[in-house]
Amino acid sequence: MSEQLLRFESVTKTYISGESRLVILEDLDLSVPSGTSVAITGKSGSGKSTLLNLAGGLDKPTAGSVLFLGRNVGKMHDKALSAFRNRHIGFVFQSHILLEDFNALENVCVPALIRGDGRQATIQRATQLLKRVGLADRLDHRPQKLSGGERQRVAICRALINQPDLIIADEPTGSLDEASASDIETLLLEMVKEEGRTLLLVTHNPLLAARCSNVYLLQNRQLQEGP
Amino acid sequence: MKVSFSLWLYGHLILPREQTRYATRRLLRSIVLIAVVMVPLVLALIFMDGMMSGITDKYILLQDGHIQIYVSPEEELLLNDFNDARIASADQVVTGYGIIYSRETTAEVKIKGVETTYFNEMRREQLEFTGEPLSQEGSLTTVMISEVLSKTLGVGIGDRVAFMIVPENTSRTGIRPVLAVVSALYASGYHELDSSLIFMNRKDAVKYFPQRQNSYTELLVKGSAVDQLAAIIETLQVKFAQDFDYATWDEFNTTVYQNFITSRQVILMVFLLILLVAGVYVASIAQELVQDSMQAIALFKTVGALHTQLIASYFATVMTVTLLGLLCGMVIGVLIGSQLGVLLHWLGSSKIAGLQYYLLDFPIIIKWKDLLLIGLSMLGISSVTVLCTLHRIRVISPLEVLQQD
Repeated sequence: MSEQLLRFESVTKTYISGESRLVILEDLDLSVPSGTSVAITGKSGSGKSTLLNLAGGLDKPTAGSVLFLGRNVGKMHDKALSAFRNRHIGFVFQSHILLEDFNALENVCVPALIRGDGRQATIQRATQLLKRVGLADRLDHRPQKLSGGERQRVAICRALINQPDLIIADEPTGSLDEASASDIETLLLEMVKEEGRTLLLVTHNPLLAARCSNVYLLQNRQLQEGP
Repeated sequence: MKVSFSLWLYGHLILPREQTRYATRRLLRSIVLIAVVMVPLVLALIFMDGMMSGITDKYILLQDGHIQIYVSPEEELLLNDFNDARIASADQVVTGYGIIYSRETTAEVKIKGVETTYFNEMRREQLEFTGEPLSQEGSLTTVMISEVLSKTLGVGIGDRVAFMIVPENTSRTGIRPVLAVVSALYASGYHELDSSLIFMNRKDAVKYFPQRQNSYTELLVKGSAVDQLAAIIETLQVKFAQDFDYATWDEFNTTVYQNFITSRQVILMVFLLILLVAGVYVASIAQELVQDSMQAIALFKTVGALHTQLIASYFATVMTVTLLGLLCGMVIGVLIGSQLGVLLHWLGSSKIAGLQYYLLDFPIIIKWKDLLLIGLSMLGISSVTVLCTLHRIRVISPLEVLQQD
């Protein structure tokens, strides 16, 4: 049996705004084994992004535990959380979110530089990744000069540069046209597999979800095994 | 903390790419504005130091000397022969107060009786003479008055004036008028001093001010020894093997000296307030920089950057801009300040009525310690204001990146 990389144990997430109390996730359990790809689907506003935020250490549960390799992410202090995100998590966002003042190569290098890797080694690895995604001739291009698909490729490379255990992707193809989306989906799944990483992704696309090892539907604040 | 990322980010912030012209312009604008604040401060400092030093020199060289020593006549002779490398000159002087009369008006004056050797090279540098100082012609007492007094009294060289000696002892009733001839005019450039100081031959002054307390020896020390007055007095006390009355310039002119100290403190306080305002401006540069980088900061934090790494980069960027502005402002200020003498000399000779009360002809002094102090104060104040502003980085949540999806 595979090692459990990520576990949600009776996780509840509640947002309180003035008098109102909004329960997003309630008593939710999830297990993500190492080396698998897990898709979370669900309607807009069902709490998918909240779940990813909790998995990535960007938010803390109101109750329950988020365990990453047995460590309780919700109990980590800021400094430890930063190091945790840097070493163990790779983020891919729907709208790629690249640094506009930096070129493709520099965007990919950022997590490795934060980790303290040597500049030459970092550039070498970032170049390899960008070549792998077909951007060998776009290394010094800034995001404005890249297409939506190219930007998302850069974002995928950035997520992989530190060889994290878990890639978290929130609607990675949501802002792309159909052809580009298909390319990016294939690339993301291929690269995660090649690099031996675990993928936790949120998508509305049933075709993409179907290509993952496990599919869950987030509904009524709970996860259900998908189709 | 890994510094490589901070250095890398700092490099990008301080040297923005060609494409980000706005960022480059913003940094250059900030450097220029900081320099614009620093230039007048440096000029004001140079002006203040130069003027105060100039006025002090006038008082010391022409009115009081560095040290006034009251010893017996026999010891005065010993003092004359006293060889000390720190002492530039020792002159026997007689002083008193009187009222000088011309046909038109009167003026209260301090009368200083000196030998002709009193006007040595150091003193001559402070004065412009018309006529030969204290030259004796005929039997009348000769006096040298200032050009300011000459205009006030309406007299010139060769004219006669009368003066009444104000007795030191109120029981003495024999106030007598004395007739004198103006043998020369002098101008020190400082109206305040010139309007009340006249010189006459010491042998004549002794007749009018015979009391012992009116005579003393005036010591001038060399420029390199002005901070060693106490040590010089100690040496003299050993030499004469006894205590004697003495007064240093600042003790003798407590009011003037304290006025200088107070003025200087007030001006430095004003400088400090200006630097505080400049510090607030520098903080606004940091604020603008952070405001424009909100998404980048949130992303850096998402992928694991620490607050301290980000704060270090932004702090270094803003402080580099501040330092560059500061250095530019100081260099420009010093360059203009070093030419200030030409401008002041022109103003001094422009006969503008309002300027006659100011000393405008003085040597320009650049006190590097004061400039350094101002520079360090600017950096210190800016550091605090910038750090307070950059505290905002701590509260930027990585979730902000995701919320924009």
